[in-house]
Amino acid sequence: MQELIQAAQAALTSKEAAFIIGYALTPDGKKTRPFIARTPDEAAKLVFNHTCAHNLAVYLTRIAKPKEGKMGIVAKGCDTRAIVALIQENKITRDQVYIIGVNCSGVTADVTLPFGADNLPSKCIMCQVQVPPVSDVLVGTAAPYDKPKDAVTERMQLLEAMNEHERFAFWASEFEKCIKCYACRQTCPMCYCEQCIVDKTVPRWIESSASLRGNFSWNMIRAFHLAGRCIGCGECERACPMDIPLMLLNRKMGMVAMQQFNYRHGVNPEEPTLVGSYNMQDNNEFFK
Amino acid sequence: MKIGVFICYCGENIGRTVDCAAVAKATAMLPGVAHSEDYKYMCSDPGQNLIKQAILDKKLDAIVVGSCSPHMHEKTFRKAAAAAGVNPYMVEIVNLREHCSWIHDDIPSATKKAIDLMRIAIEKVKRNDPLTPIRVPVTKRALVIGGGISGIQAALDVANAGYEVVLVEKEPSIGGHMSQLSETFPTLDCSQCILTPRMVEVYQHPKIKLYAYSEVSNVEGFIGNFSVTIRRKARGVRDEVCTGCGLCVQKCPIKKAQNSFEEGMAIRPAMYVPFPQAVPNIPVIDREVCTYYKNGKCQMCKKVCGRDAIDFEQQDTFVTEAIGAIIVATGYKLYTIDKKPENSLIKGYGEYGYGMYKDVVNGLQFERIASASGPTNGEILRPSDKSEPKKIVFIQCVGSRDEAKGFTYCSKICCMYTAKHAMLYKHKVHDGEAYVFYMDIRSGGKMYEEFVRRAIEEDGVKYIRGRVSKIYEDDGKLVVKGEDTIAGMPVTINADMVVLATAMIAQSEAPQLAQMLGVPYDTYGFLQEVHPKLRPVETSTGGIFLAGACHSPRDIPECVAMASAAAAKTMVLFGSDMLEREPVVAKVHADTCAGCFYCQKVCAYSAIERKEIRNRQGELIKTIAYVNEGLCQGCGTCNATCPSKSVELIGFNDEQIFNEILALDEVF
Repeated sequence: MQELIQAAQAALTSKEAAFIIGYALTPDGKKTRPFIARTPDEAAKLVFNHTCAHNLAVYLTRIAKPKEGKMGIVAKGCDTRAIVALIQENKITRDQVYIIGVNCSGVTADVTLPFGADNLPSKCIMCQVQVPPVSDVLVGTAAPYDKPKDAVTERMQLLEAMNEHERFAFWASEFEKCIKCYACRQTCPMCYCEQCIVDKTVPRWIESSASLRGNFSWNMIRAFHLAGRCIGCGECERACPMDIPLMLLNRKMGMVAMQQFNYRHGVNPEEPTLVGSYNMQDNNEFFK
Repeated sequence: MKIGVFICYCGENIGRTVDCAAVAKATAMLPGVAHSEDYKYMCSDPGQNLIKQAILDKKLDAIVVGSCSPHMHEKTFRKAAAAAGVNPYMVEIVNLREHCSWIHDDIPSATKKAIDLMRIAIEKVKRNDPLTPIRVPVTKRALVIGGGISGIQAALDVANAGYEVVLVEKEPSIGGHMSQLSETFPTLDCSQCILTPRMVEVYQHPKIKLYAYSEVSNVEGFIGNFSVTIRRKARGVRDEVCTGCGLCVQKCPIKKAQNSFEEGMAIRPAMYVPFPQAVPNIPVIDREVCTYYKNGKCQMCKKVCGRDAIDFEQQDTFVTEAIGAIIVATGYKLYTIDKKPENSLIKGYGEYGYGMYKDVVNGLQFERIASASGPTNGEILRPSDKSEPKKIVFIQCVGSRDEAKGFTYCSKICCMYTAKHAMLYKHKVHDGEAYVFYMDIRSGGKMYEEFVRRAIEEDGVKYIRGRVSKIYEDDGKLVVKGEDTIAGMPVTINADMVVLATAMIAQSEAPQLAQMLGVPYDTYGFLQEVHPKLRPVETSTGGIFLAGACHSPRDIPECVAMASAAAAKTMVLFGSDMLEREPVVAKVHADTCAGCFYCQKVCAYSAIERKEIRNRQGELIKTIAYVNEGLCQGCGTCNATCPSKSVELIGFNDEQIFNEILALDEVF
């Protein structure tokens, strides 16, 4: 912990970073919440533990860019994919961010319960980046942890085995729950549009009422807008108050991108994005 | 808003299946419609007058015409509306003919569909905005790529019309393949004698800037406003001081370089001009063979040059030219029969022994042999032992019309040049025998059939219909095994020499150039015109025209005609100072654009640029997408890609489309 605070204080003191987006304890001291440290004193409050599940990269496009210094951010390995994706999509440049990479030993799925093999989110079960691949300074240690079988993968296989009517019925029952709170959008680091298509009123492409038809349009359009772009942090699903398994959709899209085009978003800042680039070697078999 | 509706019968075309009067009556009831009528021929003068009169009488703001395809008469009705004071973009055309009457036969349901189609357009026109055409300035300067006969003709025509021309040729001299030919069909006049005056004219023309030994390396911009970067390859000779005296060429001790102008049948020095009439007459150092570039020795050319023009260290230089129109005249090359196939379409003709037997030559090699300036000074002597061949076999369609080993297309000129070759042979070797193996004789053209008949009847060339299966050498003779399909018998000819009429194929760099220019090309690599009949020299990219064999195999008269046509199209473009174009272009809403630039990535016309939005203090607020109206073709790809729907296509904006769909909703 001291290592993280020292790194943050050094970056703020040297004016390398104008602020550090990180985690601080909640008043009850049991969980963590996003926290922006602007002075070395404030940086002393920074923490990192198993409850730091949030992907803070979402703030990089929400916060006003500082006139001097970089935007400092505390990032787990999985979070750096969002940062790289934002660089790929022209939202930020690499020299606008100062990344304090934290070696991660996994986070909890339910922050109110203790960390353990039965309380791991899917992204930690599948994790291959306990050590952040991109960072300006690296802190902490990555301890191995027990990874159980991924329930999401099994659920996806069940869905894939269904016919289109069964699958439609499944999603209808899930989307029926949606209350259009847009928490999924607000927590998504890749949802950075200044005006979301759902908020466009002339014309109104997506019904804003929380009806099944409008819910379908909203959730499907969001999934399409994330196709080949989702970096798999799972924040949408974690934020969803109605427990809609949104990552089933997003992960399937990511798998298609991988299988069809051998593409993974947010890995290489120099790589052209999948949507919007054409390669002569692209798989064209789906043209019928 | 007051909308006028006009339903055309198109004679019987629409009226037969659609009850036009009923459509007019039904649409008259729709909200916003102030006037509705039907007429037999709306495009006729009285029909147009009906529209004009209704606009004036009822003070209409917009009109919807139910007629034929907008491709036919949109312009007509827009002009009629404009004449009566309505903005031409407040006119919508509903294609009641192709989209309704021609494809249905049940009158009641066709009529119902016609009313639906009209309702859709009425909902759209309510949301149309009066638009004005976009005007962009035109740089009245043409670029011609390729200095063969097509490029020369196009350059001269444009220059003679008074416009500046930049001519780029990749070889050290202009002239192209035509400069290699001996005599030309069907008149047998000497190719160089008719070509070289044109080459000199190009060189001396005050309006033509010639970049020989240069290549186009980059093209940016759009119709009327291209910026073209040209790479001037280093000759090793400073062209601004060289007088072309030729002393360096004479004194160059390295004499054994392959002479590509003579199709490899002669040698030349390392310092060379391709042929005596070269334009410009400035030598080039072949750096592959020159000893200076190997070990720094010799420098004989530098010692003898009285003008100090030799510069061994010369580097390629780049110049950028402002250009308004581009004429592509990059020509063709020959099917490579001997070498390793350069693409999957070419399988080769190993059984003909080209490259293995010296006396099996291709068409261009025979041209050099028959040419008075060629390696044999015009005597017909075979390459192996320089003896006069007494029996010669010509094989047509080597690579052409052969799906198995070559290309499906016909190379078009081979029937004629083979007849010419056989004739030239007979004129020079009176006691010789000439045989031609052919599939068909395709001699369409003025005096062409007569020419072939002359070869057969007057000069006694023996034509055998059939293919050759094998050629092999036996006792100094080339044994040609083939079939006479008319006699139904195998034929064997012991020949002294064989000439293969190899296919004309696209230049290997053609696809690369086409991609740089944004011009489509076909599977063979030939560049594609917009319309095969009505717009044969224009490409789908505005301001880029095609001339000659880069488009398809063609002979000299056709190349010249096409070059003049491309020049005429260029002059039409240069005829006005400003270019008017349809205002149907994309527009970015700066307030909601998030600057992801997915639109920029998908734009096929490079029409999306980045624009910085700054506050009054000059601080950068955000970078957004911006549409260059000169480049935008209004395809709408950006519109579909934008996740926040911050790009709209003017004239087809989201609101218009949405309401068109809503109008249909009432149907379901």
